[in-house]
Amino acid sequence: MLLAYDPATNLLNTTEWAFPFFECIHIASFAMSVGTIALVDLRLLGLGMRHQTAAQLVKDTMLWTLAGLIIVITSGLVIFTSDPLRYYYNPSFRLKIICLLIAVIYNYTIHRKVAMSKAPPFVNMLVGVLSLLLWVTIVFAGLFYAFT
Amino acid sequence: MSLAEFSQWVSGLDLFTSLRESALAYPVIMSLHLSSIAVFGGLILVTDLRLLGLAMPNMTVSNIIAQTRIWKRIGFVIMVTCGILLGGAKLDKYYDNPYFQLKLLFLMLVGVHAIAFHRSVYGNAAELDRAPAIPSVAKTAACLSLVLWISILSFGRWIAYYERPGERGAPVTSSQPVNRVSPAQ
Repeated sequence: MLLAYDPATNLLNTTEWAFPFFECIHIASFAMSVGTIALVDLRLLGLGMRHQTAAQLVKDTMLWTLAGLIIVITSGLVIFTSDPLRYYYNPSFRLKIICLLIAVIYNYTIHRKVAMSKAPPFVNMLVGVLSLLLWVTIVFAGLFYAFT
Repeated sequence: MSLAEFSQWVSGLDLFTSLRESALAYPVIMSLHLSSIAVFGGLILVTDLRLLGLAMPNMTVSNIIAQTRIWKRIGFVIMVTCGILLGGAKLDKYYDNPYFQLKLLFLMLVGVHAIAFHRSVYGNAAELDRAPAIPSVAKTAACLSLVLWISILSFGRWIAYYERPGERGAPVTSSQPVNRVSPAQ
């Protein structure tokens, strides 16, 4: 069944609009997920939102981050079906998936734990920088996929 | 000088030519453009959701507007700088692209939006804090902001898919998505 899958029959490849449409959803929802995480990161770095604690920001953005992640990953999977083999063998795509797995686990373990506790400033900064680096790497790798 | 000639002159400038021909600089700038959507776009989203009463209930409207302002500005400058570099490098291809033109129009509408709602919403946040409920003008501003930015993002993506009439089926370059499979297989 899986072996018989032919991407040429996929809606994404048979219509003009479906592929860019899912790309737009993908971009809007990563703004939602990464944007709300970045808000917490700015606080951890002491660069913004200083009237709130990081813990408060995590609680306030939690649902929007989760909703964003679900939509961004789902739309990503839809886009993946347009040409699974090409994605699978692409090094940028592999880097993206590895970073994505690390970033999601990191976000719901270390990142969350540190943001919810009263950690010393250098720990906060380290955790915030690592978070931003991971998410930006995912964006870069996702884009470089189209150029390799 | 016609618009076509002007566009060809701009994209022929040394800076834009070398950018367009660089295998690394062009995708790096495009990635920065997209990364700034994540950070800067997320801040706009959070502000709009707060005005709609859908997120950040523990922060006052004035607090969220004041604290996100500087980062919105920084993000906007990075985003626009990258956008000018990307657009300039391919202006000869983009100037008559309807999605490119719509994107520019909607970016101007963002300016109109900011001016139109400054007195009643964005420059009036302390008043909004005191109001028993968020007034409908603020909710309207938030909805329009969301519509504008999602449109701009979508037009931006659609630019890459436009083909000039008569140039259909032109060879796909590496900077364009190549996922579409010919239906005539």
